Amino acid sequence: MDQLSTNNNLNLPEDGDETKIVDVTFQYIVIRLGEEQYGIDISYVNNIVRMQRITRIPKVAPYLKGVINLRGEILPVVSLRLKMGLDEDVFDKATRIIILKTENEGQIGIIVDEVKEVVTLSEKSIEKVSHDNKGEKANFLSGVGKNNGELISILDLNMISLEDN
Amino acid sequence: MDVSQYLEIFLDETNEHLQNLNTQILELEQDPENSDTVNEIFRAAHSLKGMAGTMGYKRMQNLTHDMENVFFFFFNGNIKVQPEMIDVLFQCLDALQEYTDNIKNTADEGTNDNEPLIRQLNDILNNKGATSEAAAPAQAAPAAEKAEESSSDEPWYDINYDESQISVLSEAAKQGRKVYGINVTVDPSCVLKAARAFLVVKAIEEKGELIVSNPNSQDLEDEKFENDFTLIVISEESLENLIAAAKSVSEISDAVGKELDVTKLHSAEAEGEAEEAPAAQTTAPAASEAPKAAPAAAPAQGAAPAKAADKKPGKVAVKQTVRVDIEKLDSLMNLVSELITAKNSLVSASSSSEGNNSSFNEQIEYLESVTSNLHESVMKVRMVPIESTVNKFPRMIRDLQKQLGKKLDFYMSGEETELDRTVVDQIGDPIMHLLRNSADHGIESAEIRAQRGKPEAGSIWLDAYQDGNNVIIEVRDDGNGIDIEAVRAKGIERGVITPEQAAAMSDKEVINLLFTAGFSTAKKVTDVSGRGVGLDVVKSMIESLSGEVEVKSELGVGSTWTIRLPLTLAIIQALMVVVGGEKYAISLGSIQTIETIEKSDIKLVQNEEVINLRGTVIPLIRLNEVIGTESHPIDENSLIAVIVKKGDKMAGLVIDELIGQQEIVIKPLGKYVKHVKFITGATILGDGEVALIFDANTLL
Repeated sequence: MDQLSTNNNLNLPEDGDETKIVDVTFQYIVIRLGEEQYGIDISYVNNIVRMQRITRIPKVAPYLKGVINLRGEILPVVSLRLKMGLDEDVFDKATRIIILKTENEGQIGIIVDEVKEVVTLSEKSIEKVSHDNKGEKANFLSGVGKNNGELISILDLNMISLEDN
Repeated sequence: MDVSQYLEIFLDETNEHLQNLNTQILELEQDPENSDTVNEIFRAAHSLKGMAGTMGYKRMQNLTHDMENVFFFFFNGNIKVQPEMIDVLFQCLDALQEYTDNIKNTADEGTNDNEPLIRQLNDILNNKGATSEAAAPAQAAPAAEKAEESSSDEPWYDINYDESQISVLSEAAKQGRKVYGINVTVDPSCVLKAARAFLVVKAIEEKGELIVSNPNSQDLEDEKFENDFTLIVISEESLENLIAAAKSVSEISDAVGKELDVTKLHSAEAEGEAEEAPAAQTTAPAASEAPKAAPAAAPAQGAAPAKAADKKPGKVAVKQTVRVDIEKLDSLMNLVSELITAKNSLVSASSSSEGNNSSFNEQIEYLESVTSNLHESVMKVRMVPIESTVNKFPRMIRDLQKQLGKKLDFYMSGEETELDRTVVDQIGDPIMHLLRNSADHGIESAEIRAQRGKPEAGSIWLDAYQDGNNVIIEVRDDGNGIDIEAVRAKGIERGVITPEQAAAMSDKEVINLLFTAGFSTAKKVTDVSGRGVGLDVVKSMIESLSGEVEVKSELGVGSTWTIRLPLTLAIIQALMVVVGGEKYAISLGSIQTIETIEKSDIKLVQNEEVINLRGTVIPLIRLNEVIGTESHPIDENSLIAVIVKKGDKMAGLVIDELIGQQEIVIKPLGKYVKHVKFITGATILGDGEVALIFDANTLL
């Protein structure tokens, strides 16, 4: 999956003319959870692996599914579904674990139903969502992007961070 | 001269010398007449001065120089050691430590000249009334010896050669090659004589074949020579060239040489017979001893023998060591971990594959023993005695005595106990806290001790020893002990606990309050301790090293603080078990036995399940309840219990199934998973599966 980890393209203007509008694009990995599609900022993604055996950790929050062995390193795995208040995961052939790198907590795996594609969205096409009172699910989103007429909810990866498990 | 590359070695050696001086001066205080101690001090101070001088630290050099003068008078008996002198000397050591710390942090010694100390040192000398002359005899005496020693004009004929050397030399002579003797004199003011000698030897070796050196190369390296040494060389080059090569090294004052007549060289045995015929006959059977003894006797002209005899008693056999960057060891350790994981995969592959032949199994067993040995060796490389850390404590206790106005006796044992280097480096502060705590809070004032019928001097013990996979460090005192009621009252006063809670708490729980932040029962705050930061810091520091601290105390009798540290941190022997269908590892170090228990033997005490195991009542802990799963025992009527022990506490951990013993590599669970108290980490099994590791200590 190394070919996915390209950097975001910053299309900076040629000269230092600050009045020009700078168009910044981001790449997102589109994943499926149930019927809905979400985008994950590719710069946080280290790796995508197939579902594998997870060792349960006793006495922790249910969404912390356990730990896996990724090439000799032990990484925690979080169920995105449970974290977002959806039904328990059903593992099938399409299930993947996306390995994210976080600043403070090292690498963390998140379980998704399916990985679909990589899209490039310009900053302009992403609408920010405010986090006040839009219901529980909105709290997991940092914005909504439009891609070829389809809406993609952009996941706010901070929500994976530990509350108390 | 660029000395920056030597800075690290300088710091290491300076610290060693300072530590040594501290220890020796303490000894001197106890036994002012001991000339061995004075000798050792003199030598250490001298090396320190030389090193500081070479590195260009003038202030440090000046101070050590004046200290050395004082030591010289101790040495020759002109000044009797007085307690106040010891105080001054300790202050000097502190000042030297300060220089060293400055150098460590900034590569500069700082600007403190420590004039008051130098004045005090000079006062000691002046009281003797011989300051100015002090330096003179000190230097004159060795000079005289030197003069005498180099009196022989042809030192190469004075060397005692052994048979093989003679034969090599005569063979070379027969072939028409030239044999030279070269005597090199090092400038008397040279500080790094060994380094100069090394450079000379190297220069000579470029020109020819070095056959013999006197003293031998090891002694040259250790600077066990006065100002000159002799080299015997076979070379095609002319004598002038060789001498020029030797002289090209700086601080070499002279080099003379001559082409040798091989027939005039004598062997050690011949020498022995010639010079002391009667003695030689009796020692003839012990001929092998002769070459060793003879070189000492050979240059025995003038004052040399007396000097040699003087040096002997203080000489400690030093083991050859290499200083290695700890990061290199870490990476070596990681590789060993990988190897063990790979080996475990092989083991599991071999047990699952069908029709495996016995030679394959043999090879795997061989691999297993090699990896275990490799692991053990790497672990041992990282182990150092705690000596380097605890050696500073006698001095600290001595200072505390003066500060606190209490008489204290300090006893240490087990300084040779070994621990991982990183642990040794960090364990000093917690131990220091506990010792200060004992000295300040533990030991009562002299009046109270007298009332209680205790000896006037309070005793503090520091003991270290190995216990299974742990190292125990105990700080013990015969002082007041912990006043549990006072702690209880204080806890209420501080608002840490409510009066109701206080009443319900057991004594042990009350004592544990001491380890909470901001808790100090000292009635008055002293310089030494009692600022309320201490025990909680001690506890967290020890826990960060995966260790534990406990205290036992009896009011009026004393307290014992016990620090328990794991011997190894990364790779352990573990028992693999199954609980509720999941695999777990339990460290073998804490396991006593494994028992099969009939259900009918389980008794209830205060609603807790216990068993009576050979006369000891042991509580049972159902691991499936701890981890929140169903138990699937193999046999409905009996249980398998792993009996674990921590200190004097024991418990039986009930499991479903035993898999067996395995060497496992402990891996952290990562920061994301932090609140599982009874899991210390995870390990990767041979088939790639992850198993969690139980921390039996937290279950007890």
